[in-house]
Amino acid sequence: MQSSLEIKNCELYRQNQQLLSLNEQVKGGEILTVMGPSGSGKSSLLNWLTGTLPSGFSANGEVWLNGENINNLPAHLRHIGVLYQDALLFSHLSVSGNIAFAMPKGNKKQRLEKIEHALEQVGLKGMANRHPDNLSGGQQARVALLRMLLSEPKAILLDEPFSKLDTQLRVDTRELVFSQIREHKLPAIMVTHDHSDAEAANGKLITLNLAK
Amino acid sequence: MSVVSNKLAASPTLKPHKSADMFSKLVKLSPRFLLALLILPVIGGLISVLLPAFGYAPVLEHTTLGLHGFTMLMQTPGLTHMVMLSVGSGLISTLLAFTITLMILAAFFNSPWLNRIQRLLSPILVIPHAAAAIAVGFLIAPSGMISRLVSPWFSGWELAPNGMFPHDAFGISIILGLTLKELPFLLLIALGVLAQPELGKKLRQQHKVALNLGYCPMTAFFKVILPSLYPLLRLPILAVLAYASASVEMPLILGPNTLPTLAVAIMHWFNDVDLNLRIKASAGALLQLVLTGGLLALWLGGEKAIKALFSDLLTNGEREYGGVYWQKITTVLTVFVIGFILLSLIGLIMWSVAGFWRFPAALPEQLTLLHFKSALMQMQNPLFNTLAIGLVTTLFAIIITLLCLESEQLSAKPMSRFTSLIIYLPLLVPSIAFLFGLVWLQQLVNNQAAFFNVVFTHLLFVLPYVFLSLASSYRRLDPRFAHVAASLGATPCKVFLQVKLPQLFAPILIAAALGLAISFGQYLPTLLAGGGRIATITTEAVTLANGASRRTSAVYAIMQMALPLIGFILAWVLPKYFFKSAHR
Repeated sequence: MQSSLEIKNCELYRQNQQLLSLNEQVKGGEILTVMGPSGSGKSSLLNWLTGTLPSGFSANGEVWLNGENINNLPAHLRHIGVLYQDALLFSHLSVSGNIAFAMPKGNKKQRLEKIEHALEQVGLKGMANRHPDNLSGGQQARVALLRMLLSEPKAILLDEPFSKLDTQLRVDTRELVFSQIREHKLPAIMVTHDHSDAEAANGKLITLNLAK
Repeated sequence: MSVVSNKLAASPTLKPHKSADMFSKLVKLSPRFLLALLILPVIGGLISVLLPAFGYAPVLEHTTLGLHGFTMLMQTPGLTHMVMLSVGSGLISTLLAFTITLMILAAFFNSPWLNRIQRLLSPILVIPHAAAAIAVGFLIAPSGMISRLVSPWFSGWELAPNGMFPHDAFGISIILGLTLKELPFLLLIALGVLAQPELGKKLRQQHKVALNLGYCPMTAFFKVILPSLYPLLRLPILAVLAYASASVEMPLILGPNTLPTLAVAIMHWFNDVDLNLRIKASAGALLQLVLTGGLLALWLGGEKAIKALFSDLLTNGEREYGGVYWQKITTVLTVFVIGFILLSLIGLIMWSVAGFWRFPAALPEQLTLLHFKSALMQMQNPLFNTLAIGLVTTLFAIIITLLCLESEQLSAKPMSRFTSLIIYLPLLVPSIAFLFGLVWLQQLVNNQAAFFNVVFTHLLFVLPYVFLSLASSYRRLDPRFAHVAASLGATPCKVFLQVKLPQLFAPILIAAALGLAISFGQYLPTLLAGGGRIATITTEAVTLANGASRRTSAVYAIMQMALPLIGFILAWVLPKYFFKSAHR
């Protein structure tokens, strides 16, 4: 069965004022881009999808992942990966520690091999034991990507993940992320300010307006 | 001639402005003054106590060094039991307080309950140890609140039973009292750390990332937040451990009388009429020092062991450790803890206004204000002393702290780790070990200035809290205000007085309220440094707790709690009217 992420009749409210209304389906390997000015509810939409909607916000509607209603699942059981603007790598763990943290349980040796292989594929060969604070912004972004992918998510959310990277790095990292999404055939939703991101995503584009 | 012209050529052409110089000089000297103020009395006190342990006490005509004191100490009947009691009650209560704190943080990390628990427990912080001990004592006594609430319908008791609480020989009462007092302290320190803008935000975001990666909230806390949070909690935990193992007020009110904890026994020996017991007391103080030091080393060692043992656990991918189960247990525990605390406070209030209150009634049959009236008439002198000592001590503490923090900014260098550690010194060294020596030194210098001696001794215990409270607010001041003021021609002194202080009005008041609360609650320092001549609410309360009527005790305990509370209310209200900051 093809993987898909469905948003059914979502209505998002901030303090009883409606922010947005959405009804979309994203198929595996496709990227839905959501754009809009600050305050239009983009990040809140992602919060709702992951089950981490803060107090002060409320929502109607359902989230269906691969044909299952996950509305009543708590955040940590939804298997939806998120990439944020900041890499948010754990500073008490090394690079390989960060990635191992995200992986399911398994044979220790196999996991380490998998991590090494993954690091090599994104051009970070040999950096397994480095401390995350000593990496450059682009390197941190790549480690965060690996951490998310190796947790074997069923869907991917991107919250302006490239906005802190400089232009060339932005293009390279974006290509990397999108190719991984297409290769693993995961449904993805991306929130961004940048039109070039939307063009590269090559999927449906939704623009949110500010609530009146 | 050439020498003169060389000199002229080499000397700088500008002289710094005179008045700015004085202020800057004063500020520059402050950290060293602070260090001296904290180190000298503690070390001096320690030496003066420890020398007699080895036989050197000219006052008693012992001038030959020897191990006489230790022999006497070792021959004390029940010494092992006293040591085990001290060590056990200290370690167990700290472990309990620490573990429950972690569980509460982990279970309620993302929930609004954390905020509510914080607001509920904050006022508990200012309750002095003596008052807390009195309250807990009333709670678990055979005719206390707990047995009244379950009698006679549950327990079948028509008369108050023979109970072993509170003065039980195993120290369970002590452990209960210590845990209930230290738990809010540790929890609120942790919450304070998490409330720091940058660190708090980063940790919360990382917790969210862990949730997204499939970790249940409690596991996410332990594997992601705790490793970063713990180093910032280490010193407060060590201070709690040191206090718990060497405190005098708690075991005095809640502990067994025949074989007390070591600290209480030492105090009795020092106060004994037979002056020769002082040698034994000094040896005992050294033993206490070793015990507390040993416990601190044990804790630090345990920390390293756990780190080594569990580092693999962090990254093994195991996400579920029965999280839902632990969450329920924590909720039950939290309810118990808060229930205990509330019940003891309610019990205290009821005892203070109780007329005739026969067991097993849950409420007093008569209410009367007689106890309050008679106590208030007798309280005038202790009340005056308490307030005077508190205000003078806190004033000094605030001034020194402000000057030290200013020096940090003027020299553009953060305080060395050494200084930060020394701030904790009076809290880590058992007071029973150095107070007697300090008092002896004070008597040498001037034995008439009891008030001054008491203030000086209080200062040692008030300074750390005032400093820690003010430091974070001071360091968060936007440095650009000072730069702008300087560019407008203001001297550092003017910047300090007219720019920085008004902005810090609210934090200064809070630190002052905290300092007052600490000073109000001091028992041993007041008793010893004042030579028994100065009575404060706390010294009176402790004396009454072990003797007189329960009702009068309750009134004094309530006064002990009311005074700091008034301080905090003022600290909350005054900034709304004076030096209103832009936030309000």
